[in-house]
Amino acid sequence: MNAAALSILWNATLETLLMVGAATVLAVLGGLPLGILLAATDPNGILEHRWVNRILGTVINLGRSVPFIILMVAIIPFTRKVVGTSIGTTAAIVPLTVAAIPFMARLVEGALKEVDPGVIEAAQSMGTGPLQIIYKVLLPEALPALVLAVTVTAVNLVGYSAMAGAIGGGGLGDLAIRYGYQRFRGDVMLQTVAILVLLVQGMQMLGDRIAQKLYQRG
Amino acid sequence: MIRLKNVSKTFEGRSEVRALSGIDLTIPAGQIYGIIGQSGAGKSTLLRCINMLERPDSGEVWVGGTLMNSLKPKELRAARRKMGMVFQQFNLLNSRTVFANIAFPLELNKTPKQAVRKRVEQLADLVGLADKLEAYPRQLSGGQKQRVGIARALATEPEVLLCDEPTSALDPETTASVLNLLQTINERLGLTVVLVTHEMAVIQETCHSVAVLDEGTVQEAGPVAEIFTHPKSKAAQRLLQGLLAAKFSLPQPSPDGMFIRLTFLHDRANQPIISKLIRRHEVEVNILSGRIDQMKGSPFGMLLVELRGSSQEKDAALCFLEENQVEVEVLSP
Repeated sequence: MNAAALSILWNATLETLLMVGAATVLAVLGGLPLGILLAATDPNGILEHRWVNRILGTVINLGRSVPFIILMVAIIPFTRKVVGTSIGTTAAIVPLTVAAIPFMARLVEGALKEVDPGVIEAAQSMGTGPLQIIYKVLLPEALPALVLAVTVTAVNLVGYSAMAGAIGGGGLGDLAIRYGYQRFRGDVMLQTVAILVLLVQGMQMLGDRIAQKLYQRG
Repeated sequence: MIRLKNVSKTFEGRSEVRALSGIDLTIPAGQIYGIIGQSGAGKSTLLRCINMLERPDSGEVWVGGTLMNSLKPKELRAARRKMGMVFQQFNLLNSRTVFANIAFPLELNKTPKQAVRKRVEQLADLVGLADKLEAYPRQLSGGQKQRVGIARALATEPEVLLCDEPTSALDPETTASVLNLLQTINERLGLTVVLVTHEMAVIQETCHSVAVLDEGTVQEAGPVAEIFTHPKSKAAQRLLQGLLAAKFSLPQPSPDGMFIRLTFLHDRANQPIISKLIRRHEVEVNILSGRIDQMKGSPFGMLLVELRGSSQEKDAALCFLEENQVEVEVLSP
């Protein structure tokens, strides 16, 4: 492998990391509150509210049911408004985030619902208010599961980011298609896939390990 | 003092379940008050109505001078901080150390840090976990977890401690030590303890008074000694069955025999009354079943015997027993 090929590969990797990293952070910022709201307004939740729950649930389902490749194209006007352009790595972060937020919200909801209702009840019996229950009980108790939720979201985003090539998003997926597929460079194809595999493995291992540590502590 | 007036609660679901119907109950301050019943009798619901974890459909719940039903959410939270609750499954926060678990209610009260440390250490001492403050709940045994649960419930110096089957998930030895702890707390801190259980032995060992619950109603209530010796309701008799051989299937008595049940309370249980009886009267005594036990520290015995002899001698023997303050119940003939 010559220096030029290596630099292309390296740049593509950085682009993928940037897209996945930024979209994951934004997805947590957006998905965490929504997930909390979903779990709290659930019929068995601490702030039971049927209508809020239903409307939010429907919106989130809508977001999750649109295929990413279509979502990406459909929200191009929105993307242009937010980052000023609809092409490139930065532009790709917008649809990635939009796709990841509802996904993350559902995972957060699931993680919070796994918290032992007995523990919530114990907190209530001590005179804990709903907001305090969220940040003193639900979030700390669900922390290992939340770490795993972030991991799953990030791994998913690696897959989605490969499609971002369609809007010139760059990254490893884009490289694999342009060089590996369209120019019949089997070696480049293999290299990108190998890096993607390592990336996903590494992220999953890191997430598992942090979650395990948090769990064992408790 | 806790008073429940005509409290009812129905759970709606696929089929309606009437958990409590028209409960009237007075729990005197400073007592350990047992609530016993079989599973599904409504005892946990009753307990949870006291701090409004379960809202009664109708009726009044008074704790001290406060009508719990009427409180707004904020007032209710303040009222709950004056009550501790202990759970069957402990319900500790796994993400917090023992120290932080006990400190949890103090955090809610915005107690200054130094005062928190002092109070937590004091409580850990009381429950015998001073060396476990930095451990996490998953590293503790069941009995230790329950001690943390009790310490946590006591953190805000409550006047009332509500215990929902606190020993049902524990082995017999640990059960005894946890019950001892509850008694110590009751005596030392003078707080009212309401204890829900399905085990008569727990009531017998720990409680001053007891209410027997069945199908959502109070079947009978009163001092433990009274209910153990003279259970009036079917529910109480059923619960006592195993403990006191209250329902012993009697064999045919011999022609000159009769079956009687003797109950010895307090120091009577320590005296050789039966041997005196045999020496003084021309009767024979055949013991069919018996047990001597402790009831909140004082001995308590029950014997099922067949008395044989002439009817004159038997009458004299019964008189002798009654003179010695043994309670006699003639079963047959």
